[in-house]
Parts: sequence; structure tokens; C-alpha cells
Amino acid sequence: MNFQSVSEPVARQDATGRPAPRISGQPKIELKDVSFFYGKSQAIKDIRMTLPERAVTAFIGPSGCGKSTLLRMFNRIYEIYPNQRAEGEILLDGENILQKSQDLNLLRARVGMVFQKPTPFPMSIYENIAFGIRLYEKLGRTEMDERVEKALRRAALWEEVKDKLSTSGLGLSGGQQQRLCIARTVAVRPEVILLDEPCSALDPISTAKIEELIDELKEEYTIAIVTHNMQQAARVSDLTAFMYLGELIEFDETNKIFTSPNNPKTEEYITGRFG
Amino acid sequence: MVSLAESNAQDRQSASSRAKAVKRFSTSDAVFKNVTRSAAFAVLAVLAGVAISLVAGAWLAFQTFGLGFLITESWNPVTEKFGALAPIYGTVVTSLIAMLIAVPVGLGIAIFLTESCPRPLRRPIGIAVELLAGIPSIIYGIWGLFVFAPFLQHTLQPFLIATFGHVPVLSSLFAGPPYGIGVLTAGLILAIMVLPFISSIARDVFTTVPPVLKESAYGLGMTTWEVTRKIVLPYTRVAVLGGVMLALGRALGETMAVTFVIGNAHRITPSLLAPGTTISASIANEFTEATGDLYTSALFALGLVLFVITFIVLAIARLMLAQIKRRAGE
Repeated sequence: MNFQSVSEPVARQDATGRPAPRISGQPKIELKDVSFFYGKSQAIKDIRMTLPERAVTAFIGPSGCGKSTLLRMFNRIYEIYPNQRAEGEILLDGENILQKSQDLNLLRARVGMVFQKPTPFPMSIYENIAFGIRLYEKLGRTEMDERVEKALRRAALWEEVKDKLSTSGLGLSGGQQQRLCIARTVAVRPEVILLDEPCSALDPISTAKIEELIDELKEEYTIAIVTHNMQQAARVSDLTAFMYLGELIEFDETNKIFTSPNNPKTEEYITGRFG
Repeated sequence: MVSLAESNAQDRQSASSRAKAVKRFSTSDAVFKNVTRSAAFAVLAVLAGVAISLVAGAWLAFQTFGLGFLITESWNPVTEKFGALAPIYGTVVTSLIAMLIAVPVGLGIAIFLTESCPRPLRRPIGIAVELLAGIPSIIYGIWGLFVFAPFLQHTLQPFLIATFGHVPVLSSLFAGPPYGIGVLTAGLILAIMVLPFISSIARDVFTTVPPVLKESAYGLGMTTWEVTRKIVLPYTRVAVLGGVMLALGRALGETMAVTFVIGNAHRITPSLLAPGTTISASIANEFTEATGDLYTSALFALGLVLFVITFIVLAIARLMLAQIKRRAGE
């Protein structure tokens, strides 16, 4: 544990040299000169930033700007593909998760991820949740039932599925499937939740439900969300990072970004002049 | 400048030439359609022809022996008593042995190739497995008879006899002297022959698992083994089963290699080390000696039985594959 970095107030310099946003939380994830490569092409360029604990950080920017790539580094999911490579340091609670000795399964238990498309596993609703828990804990039947119920309640799905827990997760609607995936992620008790455009395949009502959920989840978890929807970023996040061509252009409190951004590029993007 | 009337005339002319072109296209289209259709129907006609001639050829045998043909073991050309049970038994048992070995190994290869094989090795291993499928069966036969069977006779078979000879139940499976050739050897050769089918089909269907699904499984902290066991295999279950059935269809009908190494004895023994026969091996061995009408007809009847068995297996395979396509389409 690196006490220094924890006790330091979060008043660092962002990539542009201006002071980073002042936020009350402890730093949860710190990026130090992080770069990412798909083969030879560089998708992320020397990003420095700090994500505070128990807050929602949104990543916005035009398609291909590297925001999803950045998110995929936080749990090293890119490792399952060859020729993808990260450089720099990402500190999770002060420990560099990019080092070789990092246990990936453990990391992914601590940093959960929800993907763009709902991806229920080909098994029952109950099993979708219980399966992940079973990877880490050995629970009795009643305890497991409780954990599953709790996770489903947490994801605001319990009322809708409590009578059909043994049916396939694939039979749910898109919005329900996505909440099932969130429940599944929450069930293994991560510290950080990564949301990669979680609402892009959903209707407005499901989207609203998930946004509400994000608001509740940040009481307990550190959340990073990638979104194409700027209203969504404005609604759910405490901090917003604007990325462009693999670089972090501006990172500040969400209010600030959407009302008086420092960088003209940011302003152009949020007012819809490009992207 | 072209006057209005002139351009109208031009338009009319081009319209009429276009109509001609369209007509020409429609004629060639019709020809094309009929040619392809008759090709397709020709296949059906051939299939029907084969089935009809098999039934016609087998008629005498079934008339003489009735359905008892299927459950009689004796096969005696001298007294003209024919029963198909021994070849049916041999066909089923050799195919079962082949499947017992080839399915786990083939799936293992496919899992390794799709999940954990280092990239530079992926192509060479994949190609090597597919080349295995390209080896003509006669080569497997000659290799089986002159290399593999003596090898088994001196290594695996004495070991099996020594190990299981005193275990109840298993002792009868591995009884008798190590001949080298026999049911087990045929099963092993078949396993090698169908292995590439299973692994290449399985590899193809494993790659149809959506990457996001795998990512979210890995994202929960699953290991490669857990992802394979709990996500990849359940997701592709039906298609893999279809591939296995296709391989089974091939194993059931395989003739040349089996004829070389099975020993061609028309009898049913519990021991896997003993010689036996299969339907296709019997036909291949005996068609030249089939003198009487009844003998020939009995061989036809064997052919008909094999035709029906493989048809059923392939039909089940098709059904299963269709099912997964329907599910993937949702």
C-alpha cells in the first residue's frame, strides 16, 4: 500500500497542465502516463488522471477516441487478445495493476465490468448470478439464495424476475438482461464497476432505470462509465473526461465541463459541432 | 442542342432496346434456373435410385430370412444361412470406440486452438489436423495392418490383458490372445480418422461464441477452463453434437481401413481384442465371392441396413445443426 498517494489530496495536474478537479473522495484509480497499442497503432497516448473513490467518472468523446480502450485497461480484459499491449502504470489503491505479477482473476473480481450489449450467460437467471459468486466463495443454499436476491434487488430487477429465477437469462428483455449483468457484476462484490456504454442498446425507460441504478451504486462503488450520450454523462456523472484521438483533452467536474469547458475542443464537442 | 422531339425519340428507342435486353436476360435467367434445378433434382434421383436398387437387391434376403436377418448371428455361405447381427454389432462397437476416443481428444484440440494456443502455433496445428482428414483411407488401412496392429500386439494389448485380465466385467472385454488386429484396433484407427472432423467443426463453432460473452465471463474473473466449461461448451453444445454425429456417420460407413485391421470374422465376442467384422468390411470382402443369388442379396441387405443407420445418424445431426442456427438467429 502506498500511503503517500492515498493521503495526498486529489489536486494533481491533468494532461493539459491545468489543475485537476477538486473532489472530496480518496483516489481509487490513478493513471500514470498510460498508453495502449493495438499492434503498432497507438490508441491511448500518455494519459494521466485520477479517478476518485465512490464517484462516477464519465468518459466522453467521438467514436474511436480511445475511451472504451481506456476502460478495458482497468481490468486488463484486453489481455485475452494477442497483440494488445499497455504501457505506463495504473494504480488501484496504490498498486500497479499493469505489472506482470498481477493476478488477473483477482483483479477482475475487484474491478467488474458491464458491456455495451447485454451478455447473460446461457444459463438460468439464478445461475447467472450464483455462478460468479461461486468462483470466489463457497456458500450454502440459503446463503446463496440471499446473495442472489440481494444482488437482484441491488440491480432493481428482483420484483420482475423473482417468480422465474430458474428460467433462462436469455428470455429477459434487453433492459432486464442488462440489469441482470449489472446484478451479476455487483454480486461478486467488486470495488470498481466499469460500464462500457451500458445503455446504448436499450430503450429510454430501461436507460432511465439503469441511470437511477448508477446513482445508487456510487454510494458503494467507484464507477467509470463510457457513454456516447452526453446528456447521460451530464446526468449520472460527478466527473467527466473528454477524450479525443487517444488523448485526454479535459478532465473536470461534470458541471464545469458542460457549462464552461476550458478547452475549445471540448466545447465544440459538447455543443455538437463535431463527433 | 438536341431538340425536344429528337430527345423524346431517342428515349423511346432506348426504352425499346432496354425492353429487348430485359427479355434476353429473362430467357437466360430461365435457362439458368432450369439447369440448376435439374442438377438438384438429379441428386434426388440418384439418391432415390440407390435406395430403390438397395431395396430391390435386398428383397430376396429379407423374403427368405424376414426381419430375423437383423438379429441372427450366423453367416454361413455354404449352407446359405445369413444374419446381419455380427456386422451390425461390429459396426456399432468400432464406431463407439472411435467416438469415445475422438470426441474428448478432438474437443481438446479445438479448445486449445481457440482458447489458449499461442498465435504462431495456431495455424500449423490447425493445418496439421486438417491434413489428417485428407489422408486416403487405404493408407490408414495399410499403415494400420503393417505398423499399428503389430505395435498394439506388442504393447497396448498385452498391457490391457495384464491389467484388466483379472478385473470382473473388464476381463471379458480384454480377454484372449493379443492378435494385433481386431475390434479395438479398428476402433482406434477410426478414432484417428474422425478426429479431424470433430476438431475442425468444434473449432469453427467455438469461434462463433460472441467475444462479448467471453469477455464478460473473463471480466467476472473466470479462468480459461471455467470460461470453456461454463460458457463456450454450453453455448455451442448443439452444434458440437451435430459435428460429433457427422463424424459418427463417417465412422459407421468407413470401409477400407477397417477391412484391413478388423480381422473379418462373422462372430460376436465380448472381447475387444478379438477379430470381428463391420457391415462395410463384410461387403468389401465378400462381394467377389458372392456366388448364389441369396448370398448377393444378403450383402445388399447389409448395405441397406448401413444406409438406414447412417441416414438416421445424419438426419439427427442435421436437425441439431438446424436447431442451433435457429437459436443463433434470435
